[in-house]
Amino acid sequence: MNGTRMFQSAPAVLVASVALCLPVLAPDFMLFEFSIAVSYGIAILGLNLLLGFSGQICLAQGALFGIGAYTTAIFNVNFGMDPIVTLPFAAIVTSLIGVLIGLPALRLQGLQLAIVTFGVASAFPQLLLKMDSITGGVTGLAIDQPMAPRWFPGSQELWLYGLSLICAAASVFMLSRLLRGDTGRLLRALRDNPLVAESLGVNLTKGRLAAFAASSALAGLGGGLFCILNGFISPQSFLPMKSIDILIGGIVGGITSMAGAFIGAVFIVFVPGWTTAINPALGGLIYGLCLIAMMMVARQGIAGLPIGRGLQALKHLFNKKGLSRVSGAVPGQLGGE
Amino acid sequence: MAVVAPAAEEGSPVLSVENVDVRFGGIQALKGVSLYVRMGEICGLIGPNGAGKTTLFNCVTRLSTVTAGTIRLHGQTIETLPPRQIIRMGIARTFQNLGIYAGMTVLENVMLGAHHLSGGRFVDALMRPRRSRQREQEIEHRCRDILADLSLEDVADVAAGSLPYATQKRMEIARALASRPTLLLLDEPAGGLTHGEVTEFGALVSRVREAYGVTVVLIEHHMGLVMSLCDRVEVFHLGQNLASGRPEEVRANPAVIDAYLGRSR
Ligand SMILES: Nc1ncnc2c1ncn2[C@@H]1O[C@H](COP(=O)(O)OP(=O)(O)OP(=O)(O)O)[C@@H](O)[C@H]1O
Ligand SMILES: [Mg+2]
Repeated sequence: MNGTRMFQSAPAVLVASVALCLPVLAPDFMLFEFSIAVSYGIAILGLNLLLGFSGQICLAQGALFGIGAYTTAIFNVNFGMDPIVTLPFAAIVTSLIGVLIGLPALRLQGLQLAIVTFGVASAFPQLLLKMDSITGGVTGLAIDQPMAPRWFPGSQELWLYGLSLICAAASVFMLSRLLRGDTGRLLRALRDNPLVAESLGVNLTKGRLAAFAASSALAGLGGGLFCILNGFISPQSFLPMKSIDILIGGIVGGITSMAGAFIGAVFIVFVPGWTTAINPALGGLIYGLCLIAMMMVARQGIAGLPIGRGLQALKHLFNKKGLSRVSGAVPGQLGGE
Repeated sequence: MAVVAPAAEEGSPVLSVENVDVRFGGIQALKGVSLYVRMGEICGLIGPNGAGKTTLFNCVTRLSTVTAGTIRLHGQTIETLPPRQIIRMGIARTFQNLGIYAGMTVLENVMLGAHHLSGGRFVDALMRPRRSRQREQEIEHRCRDILADLSLEDVADVAAGSLPYATQKRMEIARALASRPTLLLLDEPAGGLTHGEVTEFGALVSRVREAYGVTVVLIEHHMGLVMSLCDRVEVFHLGQNLASGRPEEVRANPAVIDAYLGRSR
């Protein structure tokens, strides 16, 4: 499916509207949880690009998220840098490390790549403990959380939520630049048929590494934001399971949908808590059944559900009446890829 | 049968394949095969199934590697280039079993053909959106012209996978043309066409040769098309050169008749 069209799609409008209305609808403590979800959503956006568009799996997204978080923390703790200013650095540092992780991807694809990257995710917490002189080891690192300025009328939670939305918007903005035009086409081309892509002159190495770089940058930005939101990080936040959670968020939301990335993030942040609330002893079981049911009902993820299609149909109706720009392309999802 | 290099007055060869061997494990797919294609001609490449025609295309486009022999384009050896350089050298191809992207629109497929001209600039896409968009618009404009030329403008925004086979084949030619080739390799482009469509298709190929100034190598089983369209025909059989010459000569050649009759198709 088309990268730009995805950006204009109905689920995107819906998610953006809900995100903007939340401060009115949700209490402050919920706003905090939604901010956390946004930080995961940014990492999932990266996985969308990598897995959904370039067809490469990475089960180290949680570790890369952690690298972003630690970059922000270390820059703040050691150099006294404003946490918000550290965010671009978190993205850049993580991006470089992501490219290193991506190097095996040039030879390995599919399940082998999954195992290699999961190896990175498994080693990461131990590595943090070993490098305790800069990571603070098991006690972790506490940062100076950016406080809401005097002029800001809302709560601290609202301030941080605003910051999260700005990071998310910037991520979506940059990602949509990559996914439209030639770069978006070449990624989908190497995903769907690398042999044909190569004979069309696509540089597979460069394309695959670029996808890893961009995906990791987003994981790093999300991680940096996560650090700011929590004010404190430790290896406990970046266990191997985090990478699986991020993958689940990506698939459940819809792996080629930007709106889906944030829907999936909300899912992984809230649903485990809800299922535990239903029955504290059977929370894991209910969550597991939830996941199974999700995949039976919504194979393309939540963003691909008929609700989304219904809204799309509505939008087409509006388009016909000339109320908004006509995007031209009608074909929509054509099974398969 | 030996193939003689064309004399200078017949025009310099665009593509020269000399004594190429290809082996896949125990199978010798090509044995000392040669082929010379002159500037501006439509060269037919025929032969029974398994003769090695597609394998030769794969060697030229570097999807297969030759075990011996040389391949030159305009005198420059290309048999060791990386596959993605081939399209930059001006060689574009279509695939026997289609190499299209079913999930992309026709326009997107065709624009991929132009990828090698200015594509793959990730930093520009991120940092210089205006320049990227301008480049994109230029390419889109040119590709829409090509689509119009091949009567595909109505399906430009339709997913390629939902089109009839014949239209997909035509789209693949449009994509090849978008790469600004000097040499066009068509692998059974008329496969699956009805009788009327084949005639129409022949007209299309000669028009494309004139309008885009390309040299064409055409693998085709449809003899009527080969005979009417090609300036010269090369016949492969069991991985070797069997005959070559003008279409009417080749058709009258007893060795060619035997090769075709000897193999039930
Ligand atoms: N990748 C490969 N691995 C092993 N054998 C191959 C491979 N590609 C081709 N061959 C073999 O090489 C021989 C020539 O095949 P090729 O596809 O070139 O024939 P062709 O002339 O194009 O036939 P057709 O008219 O059926 O398309 C066949 O025996 C085929 O099985
Ligand atoms: Mg063939």
